[in-house]
Amino acid sequence: MKLKLLNILVLILITTGLRAQNIVGEVEYRYKIFYDKIYSSLPHLTQQERDRILLTWNNPEGYSTRMKLQFWPEKSLYTYGEPYEVRSYSWQVQDYFIENNLNDQTYLKYMDQMGKTYIVRDSLNAPKWRVMNEIRDILGHMCMKAVSEDPIKGQKITAWFASDIPVPIGPEEQFGLPGLILAYDINDGMLIVEAEKITFGEPEQIITLPKKMKGRELSGSAYQDIVKKFIQTSVETKRAWMWEIRY
Amino acid sequence: MERNIVLVIDFIGKNLTLKKMKLLFSSLLLVAITFASQAQSKLTIRGTVKDTTNLPLDYTSVLLLSPKDSALVAYTLTNKSGEYLFKNVDRQPLLIKATYMGYLPIQKELVLPETDVLEVEEIRLMPILQELYEVVVKAAKAPLMMRGDTLEYDASKFKVPPGATLEELLRKLPGIQIDKDGNIVAQGQQVQKVTVDGRRFFGGNTKMATQNLNAESISKLQLYDDKSEQSKLTGVDDGVKEKTLNVELKEEAKKGGFGKVSAAGGTDGRYSTNASYNKFDKVNQFSIIGYGNNVNQTGLSFDDLQEFRGSSAFQFGDTGDFGFNGSGGINYITFSGGDREESFEIPFNNLSSGFSNNEAIGVNFNRLKNKKDFSGNYFYSHSDQIIESFNSRTNFLQDNSSFSSTDQSLQNNVAGHHRANLRFQNELDSANTITINAKGRLSSLNTSLGSLQELIRSSTEQSQMERDNRSNKWSGAFQGTAIYRHKFEKSGRNFAASLSNTYSKADQDGIQKSVVDLVNSTDPNTYFRNLDQLNQALNTNNTIKSSLLYVEPIKKIFFWETFYNFSQSKSETDRKVFDVEASDTRELNPDLSRFFDNTITYNRLGSSIRYANKGSNLSVGLAASNYRLNGQFSVEKKSEILGTVDKNYLNFTPNVSYWKTMKGNKRINAGYAMGVTPPNIADLQPFKDIANPLYIREGNPDLQPEVTHSFNTGYNMYDPATFINFQFSLNSTFYQSQVVQNQSIDPETFVTSFKAGNVSGGQRYFSYIGFGFPIVKTKFNAYLTANPSYTKSLALINSIETETNTLSHNVGVNLDLTPIEWLSLYAGTSFRLSKTKYEQNPSQNQDIVNLSAYTNMNVKLPKDFYFDMKFNYNRFENESFGFSQEVPILNAFIYKLIGEAKKWEVRLSAYDVFKQNQTISQFAGQNFVSTGRIETLSRYFLLGVTYNMRGVEVKSRR
Repeated sequence: MKLKLLNILVLILITTGLRAQNIVGEVEYRYKIFYDKIYSSLPHLTQQERDRILLTWNNPEGYSTRMKLQFWPEKSLYTYGEPYEVRSYSWQVQDYFIENNLNDQTYLKYMDQMGKTYIVRDSLNAPKWRVMNEIRDILGHMCMKAVSEDPIKGQKITAWFASDIPVPIGPEEQFGLPGLILAYDINDGMLIVEAEKITFGEPEQIITLPKKMKGRELSGSAYQDIVKKFIQTSVETKRAWMWEIRY
Repeated sequence: MERNIVLVIDFIGKNLTLKKMKLLFSSLLLVAITFASQAQSKLTIRGTVKDTTNLPLDYTSVLLLSPKDSALVAYTLTNKSGEYLFKNVDRQPLLIKATYMGYLPIQKELVLPETDVLEVEEIRLMPILQELYEVVVKAAKAPLMMRGDTLEYDASKFKVPPGATLEELLRKLPGIQIDKDGNIVAQGQQVQKVTVDGRRFFGGNTKMATQNLNAESISKLQLYDDKSEQSKLTGVDDGVKEKTLNVELKEEAKKGGFGKVSAAGGTDGRYSTNASYNKFDKVNQFSIIGYGNNVNQTGLSFDDLQEFRGSSAFQFGDTGDFGFNGSGGINYITFSGGDREESFEIPFNNLSSGFSNNEAIGVNFNRLKNKKDFSGNYFYSHSDQIIESFNSRTNFLQDNSSFSSTDQSLQNNVAGHHRANLRFQNELDSANTITINAKGRLSSLNTSLGSLQELIRSSTEQSQMERDNRSNKWSGAFQGTAIYRHKFEKSGRNFAASLSNTYSKADQDGIQKSVVDLVNSTDPNTYFRNLDQLNQALNTNNTIKSSLLYVEPIKKIFFWETFYNFSQSKSETDRKVFDVEASDTRELNPDLSRFFDNTITYNRLGSSIRYANKGSNLSVGLAASNYRLNGQFSVEKKSEILGTVDKNYLNFTPNVSYWKTMKGNKRINAGYAMGVTPPNIADLQPFKDIANPLYIREGNPDLQPEVTHSFNTGYNMYDPATFINFQFSLNSTFYQSQVVQNQSIDPETFVTSFKAGNVSGGQRYFSYIGFGFPIVKTKFNAYLTANPSYTKSLALINSIETETNTLSHNVGVNLDLTPIEWLSLYAGTSFRLSKTKYEQNPSQNQDIVNLSAYTNMNVKLPKDFYFDMKFNYNRFENESFGFSQEVPILNAFIYKLIGEAKKWEVRLSAYDVFKQNQTISQFAGQNFVSTGRIETLSRYFLLGVTYNMRGVEVKSRR
């Protein structure tokens, strides 16, 4: 049913062409991850180890990466943005692309995860959102709160969507709300993704996926099975899966 | 710490009048009747959204939610006439919600009709009070929460100065005024009373509360209409409402504390105690730690060190040395834990040999606030160590003969170290950072050594010497470092400057006595000599260092790096040796007394171009380095100058480094560096030093710096899915010019004369190969290692160039077995064969074998009992001497956790069950082979108790 509703929305937008300037654009997000909080929350740790990690690795600023989302009524593209700082050394740039196609309700993910490159294609399946009674302002847009859960990763997701940008699109793996998701948060601040800049209108340089995509081709459910198994094995061997799977 | 103030404002009021409701309801009823005849399971829902001035709101999001969990069912947008339409909605309880920019979202439950079409009554959106939206939602970025007809918001974002009162906080909040008399006026009405956590505060006197309560201690503010006191007393609602402000005080800011105490005692008077306590909040971390034992533990465990130092445990880049180094381009971060005199660092992971009594105490304080990080600690450690050792050494002579010496000694070292570290880092703004480090130490060392040396020239010729040496030493050092870093507006353009000063002083007094007993020798030029001497040494050193670095980015992927290093080290050595002629007469020995002062000045200017893009990093650079060595020495200060050193070396050192990280956690690196090390000033003095009559040193004024060419390469990979990992590295060094000690041994007296010289052709190769893989995933892992190495060293011995080649093979296997939750087993073995070949003297070739094996087992038994066992086996062999020694050491522990929170532990430990303990070392040098043995703590048992406030940690897996 959700699929149909998404279609209806797309249809309305296309047919009416309402305020079209608000439904095409580019968003820059700050992806801020707090490894100290995540690591100290691992289930196998003792209270003493948790305290030790938080004491020694406490980092109130988190670790930031700039991400970029381009959106149209019928699709979205998401990948890394320009780095915040030019550094005189370079770690391997991981590939991480998400392309959501709202017309035929499919997605393509091209990403380096768990030490391998995966090309995952499947039909879109939005998280089960619950819409809450809270509003917040992000970059001049009034956003409503919605929450959902990721049972595989054990994550509580709190998202803020702008109903005046009526595209069911968002950063990372979040989408399917009656407006663009401008911010979300996992487990009360272990990861904070927040829009820093919105530019409406056709983006100057459209994100392009690499021409030759090399990697393991999988369906969404097959990939989810791999992730599930990986997390399970990591928990069994008392390793932190977060280093290998995007949080 | 986070203030979470929620202000509740009775804001919307009863907005929808009863009259309108009735009207809507009747129209709704009408619609329901019209469609009643076509009742189906799927619904069509439609309606309009307008604002309070009756204008239709287009482009408004209308959502259908499930009332039980607010799950999103469907959503749409209104058209130009403010109309919305949902088709094919499953029949289920529904909430409708409309939201439009600048308006308060409205939500209400839908009454499902009998028919399949629901005409929803008109939704009217109220604009959000301008002030509220601008001040709260936009400026303070505080989310607004709708609760029925009231609005709550988190006012934690409202900045008030530290120490501000509640009144000052209230002044900042929209919709609230403080009138000139200090009364609170909310939405035009005066607040009648203030309660704190629901209780009346000073009889409800509002001013008393607002002017006395500290804004920072408040967590929530709620504003509501309360029943009057009268009605509360009588229980009859008189309809009079009092505007009430409730203040909720916040829970204690995030604070914590943990600590542990443990004490154990056992056989032979063995004991071990330690205690630590940490207290922290978001800004401050305080900790105290201490230990005392006689079981050779002379440092903190690594975990304890981390807890003790908290956020200051790992600080990188505090040395202030910029530019590439001469060892191959990679800066390794090393952690060394020993309790060495020269170190400013807190000792950790340190086990001493012999027998020792050890005590230590330390305090640490860290404060992190507003980008100003401060940390400081003080640590005092004391140890009293007795070492009983036996060393034997065989020296080879050029005519294929050899002589041996043995040394049996008993040494007592008493050392105390005070160490203090202070660090302050201030991020002035996003562009400028200053780091200041101050370190200090003060040490006292008392040693006494009694030894019996034996010289075995042949079975018939032996001599003996008894030695008795004592010395007392005080030493202290201070180091201050300041580093300034600046980031320019152009991203990637950086500047850094550092300045440091290290001052150290050591004052030593000692006596040296030796008595020679010529058992079978009548040689007047005996190897041993009778001595009775007093010596004094006063050494001072002052080193100033400074570095500059500038990095200029070119097109974001090229970086031009320029650096300058300067250092000047001035040292003064004043050593006086007196011969004790009679019990009260002493005379300065001019052969052994020296006054020496010198200055080493170092300047380096270098530049490199770095390419950094997509995981590839290549750096190519060149530096010009200049060493200037000046010194002079005499018997005593201000006596006749015996010699001077004035040397100047200029070298150009290239440097290349490359590394690349690749997909699939793979990394490859390679590098080349040229290293230049100036000669030791002592090796340059044109003078014979007979401070030790058996080993005469002669300086060489023509000595050149040591010049090396180092190449390194490496590869490693890790597959997180299969747990397979592989590492390889190869490091090689070629000596263009190596400083070696050329020796000549007098065949009659066995006196060795050393003279430093330069040779070229020396080589060293070190490699490491490691391969880890699971045999049964998550349960059984194997890790194989090999690290072959080869060294070729050259020296002149008795004017003959000798070449010594050492080829060493080391292979190891490690197995980790964790089959079930309650058992883990670790086992491994390694085999090392070190073959030393003497090109000019093949009959002396040595094969030294070390074989070791270990097993560690951790078992979790029922009822919180645990059993751990550690077994180590070592075997030392040297066939040419018929030397073979086995050392098996077994330690075992059984312990039980007590109590629900497992805060108590009782532990029984057994150390060195087979009563074997000794430390053995073997070494083959250029013209000698030595073996050493130190007697150390043997079998003992300990029974101990631990209390840990956070629950005792059980470390079953490594």
